[in-house]
Amino acid sequence: MTKTMEYIIFTLKSALFDFSRNKGRTFLTSLGILIGVLAVVLLTAAGLGLRKYIQQQFELLGSNLVTVLPGNLDEGLSSGGPAFGRINFSEEDFQKLKRVRIIKNVVPLYSRSFTVSGGNDSKYSELYASTADIFVTFNQKAEYGKLFTNRDVEKRSKIVVIGPELGKKLFGSAKKALGQSVKIEKQSFKVIGITKSKGGGLTSQDLDNAVYMPYKTAYVFNTEKTIMAFYIQARTEAEIPEMKRQAEKIMLENFDDDEFSIVEQKDLLSTINSIFSIVNTVLVAIAAISLLVGGIGIMNIMYVTVTERIKEIGIRRALGARKFDILSQFLVESIILSLFGGLAGLLLAYIIVFFVQPLFPAYIDTFSVVLALGVSSGIGIIFGVFPAKKAADLSPIDAIRYE
Amino acid sequence: MTPIVRIEHVEKTYELDDNVKFTALNNVSLTLHKGEFSALIGPSGSGKSTLMHIIGLLDKPTTGKIFINEKDTAHLSDNEISTLRNEYVGFVFQQFNLINKLTVVENIILPTVYARKKLAYDPIKKAHEIMEQFGILEKARSYPNRISGGQQQRVAIARSLIMEPSLILADEPTGNLDTKTGNDIIQLLKKLNEKEKITVLIVTHEHDVAEKTRRKIHIVDGEIVSS
Repeated sequence: MTKTMEYIIFTLKSALFDFSRNKGRTFLTSLGILIGVLAVVLLTAAGLGLRKYIQQQFELLGSNLVTVLPGNLDEGLSSGGPAFGRINFSEEDFQKLKRVRIIKNVVPLYSRSFTVSGGNDSKYSELYASTADIFVTFNQKAEYGKLFTNRDVEKRSKIVVIGPELGKKLFGSAKKALGQSVKIEKQSFKVIGITKSKGGGLTSQDLDNAVYMPYKTAYVFNTEKTIMAFYIQARTEAEIPEMKRQAEKIMLENFDDDEFSIVEQKDLLSTINSIFSIVNTVLVAIAAISLLVGGIGIMNIMYVTVTERIKEIGIRRALGARKFDILSQFLVESIILSLFGGLAGLLLAYIIVFFVQPLFPAYIDTFSVVLALGVSSGIGIIFGVFPAKKAADLSPIDAIRYE
Repeated sequence: MTPIVRIEHVEKTYELDDNVKFTALNNVSLTLHKGEFSALIGPSGSGKSTLMHIIGLLDKPTTGKIFINEKDTAHLSDNEISTLRNEYVGFVFQQFNLINKLTVVENIILPTVYARKKLAYDPIKKAHEIMEQFGILEKARSYPNRISGGQQQRVAIARSLIMEPSLILADEPTGNLDTKTGNDIIQLLKKLNEKEKITVLIVTHEHDVAEKTRRKIHIVDGEIVSS
C-alpha cells in the first residue's frame, strides 16, 4: 500500500466512522442537499420533458405546415405575451385563402373545451371544429366507423368523431361508442367514428380524448362564426416562403399587419421553447436556493463536529499532523456528506422520473447528473472549508487539554 | 554526553483576567541527554506539564530558547514543528489519549500516517512486533474503549515508539492506573530506555515513581530547584 493510499484510507475511515455513529444527524444534514439536488434535477428533467412534449405536439402535425394566428407574435414576445384573441378570423378569410393557388390545403380551426356526456358518464374534452382536412393535418385515421367529410360540413350534420379514450370512458369501450349519441351543452350529436389510438405519452392521450366536429355544425356554440386559426399547407418546403407572402397579402386586405402572424412550425416551436427555457431557468434558480440552504446546514453541522472533536484534533496534532492534514480530514468529511446527499437526491430523481415517464416525457440528461454531483461536492468544499480551517488553526496544546 | 533537548531561560506566562499575569515557568534552563531516564517531579500547579509541553514542542515559551539536537526551534514554521513532533518525540499521556474510533493497531500506526519521510520499515509489521513485546497482540483489532487501562497505556506507549523517536515524554503515565499496573508501565519504560537506548522523561508528582528513575528534576512554582 502506498503512503498516499494509506493516508486517504485513514481519512475516509475516520469520516465514515463518525457518520455511522451519528446516523440520524448525517441523514438530516444530507437531507438538505438531497432536497436541493432533487428539486434542481427534477425541474430540469421537467423542463426537458416539456420541450420534448411540445416538439411531439408539433410533429403530430403534417410537414410544410404554416399557421395563421391572430395577434402579433413578435411584438407579443417583447411586450409580455402574444396578443391572442384581439381579433378573430372569419369565413370570408377562409374562402379567400382557399382561392390562393399556391396553398395546397387550408384548414380552419375553432377549438374549445366542453363537458361531453354520454352513456352514464361525462368527461371534460377538447373540441376541434374544422373541415375534413383536419384529419389529414392531425394525421388521424378511423378505427371504427368513418371520419366526417366536407359534405357533412356543408350539411351541418349533427355528428362527431371522437377519440378512443373518450369512447371508452363514456361507453365502456371504443367500439361500443359507435352509433351512440353524446351531449355537449344540451345538444345531441351522433358518434359516426372513433379515431385510432395514438397510444403512450400525454400528447397522444390528449388527441385520444378529443371530439372532432364539422366546423359549421359547431356554429351552435360559435355563434359569431369565428375561426381561431388556419393551418395552411404548401406542396413543397421550397414553396413555403412564397405561400407565406401570398397568404400575408390576403390577410392584409382585412387586417393590419400587427393583428395577425403567419408562422412556420419551426418558428413557433423555437418561440415557445425560448419562453419555456426562461421559465425553467427561473424555476431551477429558485430550486438552487434550497441547495444553498442545504450547504449552510452542512457548515453548521461541521462546526458542531469540530467542537466535538477538539480533543481528537489535539491528539493528531501531538502525533505530528500538520494543519493541512486536519484541514483535509474535515474537508473530506463535508464533501462526503454533501456528495452523499447529492447522490441520494439524484437516485430519488431517477425513481420519480421513471414513474412519471408514462405520463410525461421528462428525462434526466448527463449534464444535470454532472451538474448535480459537481455542485454538491462544490458545496461540500465551500461550506466545509470554514469549519475545517477552524479545526486546523486550533492550537495543539489547547486542543489536547480540551475536555 | 550528547544533548537531545536544551532549553535556555524559558519563561511562560499566561494572561489571566484583569490583566493579572501568571508565571507558569520562570527562567528555566535544562538539558536532557541521550539515553537518560529522568523524572520531572513537582506538586500539581508547579509547571511540570507546561515544561513537558514546551520540551515536546506542543507549546511555545513566552521567552527563551529550545534547541533540539542543538538546533534552535524559534524560527521553524508550523509544518516543521509538526514534523519534529512526528519524528523526534513520542508522547504518553495520563488520559492515554487514544482515538476510540480507530482500532488498537490503527492507533499505533497513526503517527506514520502523518510521516513525511520514507520509513525504513513496514509500520504494520513493526506495530505487531511492539504489540507482541507488550503482550497486547490479541487486542490488535479491538477498540481502545474495550480494553483495560493498563492495556490502553501500553497501546499509547507502542504508539509513541512507532516512529522510533529519540525522546519519550510521559505525562503522569501511571496517574490513571492502579499501583501494580503503574509499576509495570514504569518497568516497561525503563526496559525501553535500557535496551533501546531511548531517552525517557517521566512527569510525575509521585515520589514512588520518581524513585525508579536515575535522574530527578524537581520543579516548584515554575522554577527548577534541583536536577
